[in-house]
Amino acid sequence: MSKNVVRVTLGLLVGGLVAALLGHWFAHGALKDKTKRILVRHATVRASALADLVGAQETIDKKSKEAYLRIAARWGEAAEEVEAVRVLRLSGSRLLASSFPEDAEHGAAPRRLKRAEKALYDRGQLLRANIDTNRQEQLAREEEVMIEWRPDGAVQLAVPFFPKSKPDRVAGYVEVLSRPRLELQPLPWWPTLLLAFIPALLYLIGNLVLAKFRDEDDANGMWGLMVSACLLLATGLVAFGNYHLIQLGRQHLTFEQNLAARYMETRGAVAQVGTQMELGLELPFRNTWDLDLYGRPHPFISFDGELYIGVDRAQEAVANRLGLAFFGNAGLAFALLFFFGFGGAALLWRTLVDNREAYVYTLPALIGMLVLVFFPFSYGIALSFTDQNIYNTDKTLVEIWIGLNNYIEILGDFNLIQTSETGWNFNYENFYWTLFITVAWTICNVTIGVSVGLTLALLLNNKRLRFKPLYRGLLILPWAIPNYVTSLIWKGMFNKESGPINQIIQMFGGEPLAWFDSVFTSFLTGVMTNGWLSFPFMMVTCLGGLQSISSDMYEAARLDGASKWQQFRYITLPSLKPTLTPAVILSVVWTFNMFNVIYLVSGGDPGGSNEILITKAYKLAFQNYQYGYSAAYSTVIFAILLIYGIFQSKAGKAAEANA
Amino acid sequence: MTTGTARTLAILFLTALVGLTVPLTATELVVWHAYRGKEKAAFEKVVQQFNQSNGDGVTVKTLAVPYDAYADKITAAVPRGKGPDVFIFAQDRLGGWIEAGNTVEPIDFYVDDEIRERFLERTLEAVTYRDIVYGLPFNFKCITLIYNKKMITKPPKTTGELVALAKKHTNAEIGQYGLAYAYSDYFYHAALMNGFGGGVFEPGPKATINRPENLKAIELMLKWYKDDKIMPGEPSTALITSLFNEGKAAMIFNGPWFLGEIESGVDYGLAVLPTIDEAGGAPMRPWMTIEGLYVAAPSKHKEEAFDFINYLTGVEAAAVMAVEGRQLPANRNVYKSPKILHDPIMKVFLLQGKQAEPMPNLAEMSIFWSPATTAMNTIVKGTANPKAAMDKAQVQVEKAVAKLRGQ
Repeated sequence: MSKNVVRVTLGLLVGGLVAALLGHWFAHGALKDKTKRILVRHATVRASALADLVGAQETIDKKSKEAYLRIAARWGEAAEEVEAVRVLRLSGSRLLASSFPEDAEHGAAPRRLKRAEKALYDRGQLLRANIDTNRQEQLAREEEVMIEWRPDGAVQLAVPFFPKSKPDRVAGYVEVLSRPRLELQPLPWWPTLLLAFIPALLYLIGNLVLAKFRDEDDANGMWGLMVSACLLLATGLVAFGNYHLIQLGRQHLTFEQNLAARYMETRGAVAQVGTQMELGLELPFRNTWDLDLYGRPHPFISFDGELYIGVDRAQEAVANRLGLAFFGNAGLAFALLFFFGFGGAALLWRTLVDNREAYVYTLPALIGMLVLVFFPFSYGIALSFTDQNIYNTDKTLVEIWIGLNNYIEILGDFNLIQTSETGWNFNYENFYWTLFITVAWTICNVTIGVSVGLTLALLLNNKRLRFKPLYRGLLILPWAIPNYVTSLIWKGMFNKESGPINQIIQMFGGEPLAWFDSVFTSFLTGVMTNGWLSFPFMMVTCLGGLQSISSDMYEAARLDGASKWQQFRYITLPSLKPTLTPAVILSVVWTFNMFNVIYLVSGGDPGGSNEILITKAYKLAFQNYQYGYSAAYSTVIFAILLIYGIFQSKAGKAAEANA
Repeated sequence: MTTGTARTLAILFLTALVGLTVPLTATELVVWHAYRGKEKAAFEKVVQQFNQSNGDGVTVKTLAVPYDAYADKITAAVPRGKGPDVFIFAQDRLGGWIEAGNTVEPIDFYVDDEIRERFLERTLEAVTYRDIVYGLPFNFKCITLIYNKKMITKPPKTTGELVALAKKHTNAEIGQYGLAYAYSDYFYHAALMNGFGGGVFEPGPKATINRPENLKAIELMLKWYKDDKIMPGEPSTALITSLFNEGKAAMIFNGPWFLGEIESGVDYGLAVLPTIDEAGGAPMRPWMTIEGLYVAAPSKHKEEAFDFINYLTGVEAAAVMAVEGRQLPANRNVYKSPKILHDPIMKVFLLQGKQAEPMPNLAEMSIFWSPATTAMNTIVKGTANPKAAMDKAQVQVEKAVAKLRGQ
């Protein structure tokens, strides 16, 4: 049997196994999720119905002590699966009725809440505040149903009640502890096993049989092998996916039917208690109890308990997310198949085995990098595809996924110029303006850094200069002082009234400048500060480079009659290039992201016009609280620097090749 | 093993044991603050008093955090359970912390009518978010009228009087002005804005930066600056300090933080901000910042923590904070004590505080400042008319808020 057949078989086995296990896990997760949702809906129907009863009582007679107790007790009897009921009124923090055992410890209801029961009151206030916020903003942003899962699988759920006289104002809430019974069939394992082993097995047998009729395989044979393997895997995946989708769809339908039955049963019970208690409750002919987390009715049940949907719709509802997961899963299976089939896995295994010592030595560093660099980095990238902000940090990234929207908004906004009655001006909020400023800022600073640094280095390299270490020490000082300290000092120097720079201008008869009021002068403040900060590094680098140039070359040049300029142009500069190039590359990256100077000196004034990309990203995250958008901004910065790096290293290599 | 190491080990073991047993017998609370100097000494004294007064073994430890890093430290440490039990901060960050979650504990439940009535008007409002009380107001700060007694004998009651008086004392040639305040800084400008009945957010987080009342307030400010010429250009805080100290500003609007910067030679007086003739005689209402006492949401001793902040806002503690810390307590009853009642500075700030508006505690306030500052600068410089500048700020803030609150 050929090596290729073994590889492809192995690929089929691994791909099938991984896809099957993951797929089983997804299907299991989907079923669990579905079950949890349906349990919550059962409990919501129970609780909302009770809330209507309490609201009716609240309208008739608020003072009655016994009525609430009786409603709660009747409800406990009438509604199956309800283990405990609590009714709480916010005004006066009164516990109107309760069959929760933990409440009994502090005395029987009705009574005022005890100091230790603060959490009960807080829950009600939070519900009230959430509902007020949603009404005010006319959005479904805050949760109107509070759900708490107990470790034993029971669900505790609170919904607000409203008196009819004030239907906008939450008066209190009812809480229901219930343990709904659901008949759940566990997911069978046989489709998983089938997907994992059957394609590989079939493939192996097929090839064994075929091998009898075939000679040595060639390059074309490899493709034949691969195509047949792909077909087998695809068949397996489709069968597996379909099986689970159909099963889940059926399950879903049963759930909905159960729920419809529960709804009707509850309706009967409410009518019964309502009549007994003479609450004058009229049940509306629409769904008011089967609500989602934000108090919006689910569309599945009609008022008389009929299901609006058929099996196909039910399946569709399940298919959306699970189907997507299955697609990803299939992609992974094929990737594994190709990886093994084309020999990638074999190659990887061989390098791992051959260089195992090297891998063991680098393992700690690899793990460190993984945890400290790659994880935050990939989290940042993932965040950039969401619209996470201060109001939805509790949601998972999948729930707030918005795809490429952030990038489209950043890169696709070309409103660079705004026109108004008074004329036109640049839109400083625009990405391309900030990018322009950042690039201008980087070029100015690196140019200044290199030219000042090189000039000083040439001066210091003079052999006849005395006290050289002293000068060198002094010139390195700006570098030695922390840059935020320097930045704050420079900010003070640019102050309009008390800054020394304006005082010097005035000494020479000039008008004091409001440095931070115009785009250009404000830009200059940053450039001056950063120039001051960045020349020592360039100076030290150049000095090192200069000292390594052999004096023989200058001697030879002098003998040939070269002028000072010619010596500089044809000896010094080319010899400095290898040291200067990496320094410039580094300096570009540093300056591009020089947060401190911009943030501390001009703060982007006036009107955010002098913001660079990195300070803009900071302000978006910590002033505007748009975390996802800011992450996208940072990713764009990363992409720009990455492109620059690739370009630079290519150019560097080309230059080396020419030299 | 030598006897030396054995002894060290034994000592270590014993200290570990002691370390384990101490927290079981006494509850220890940690409180974070950013006070320095007199305020710090007074605060520590009050905490000491609390530690001695309660018998049931609650001891409070204070930790002074440098102000610059304070807010970020709370944001980072408290939600992860690494923070204090109680912390003190102005109300401007409150909304953001509540929305971020697990930072500030709602204490609405503990705050009964007796506690509510203890506070000066509207101070409790500053630490209330979505109608839930999240803290107890500790002290307040707001700007008021400070005048040079050499130049002004009777402080103005109305803006008409203010302008007339200021004109008398203005001599631009020698750089002397009748009135000086940081009018292009929205915080200082807000006194006029609120006086006209304006506001920046309302109801809820809905931005109302360009509403007509706000524009009227800006026009009045511009009239003072451009037509009446009673105020200096480029009014930075440094300029105002030097003008006042050199006797070149007759009247300024500034807060209690400014009093320490007045040189000893300057004889100054305080008065309540004037009423606005142009707004039908309504008083100027400056923004008031209120320092709140908050119980940290992850605290394990919430009840004790509340008892502690309840004590801090009581008359006894407030008196110490007022007399020794020179704070303006939010407790109204403390001003009845003769020592404070006859204090000319406290008296004026108390009156002014009653006519002040708590600065909004919405998370969205942090979005407001940058566009508002830009707008005010362009208006004062004359590069844009008030309406256009405020419209622009309005659109910017509206957009940013819409992004947060989801459509």
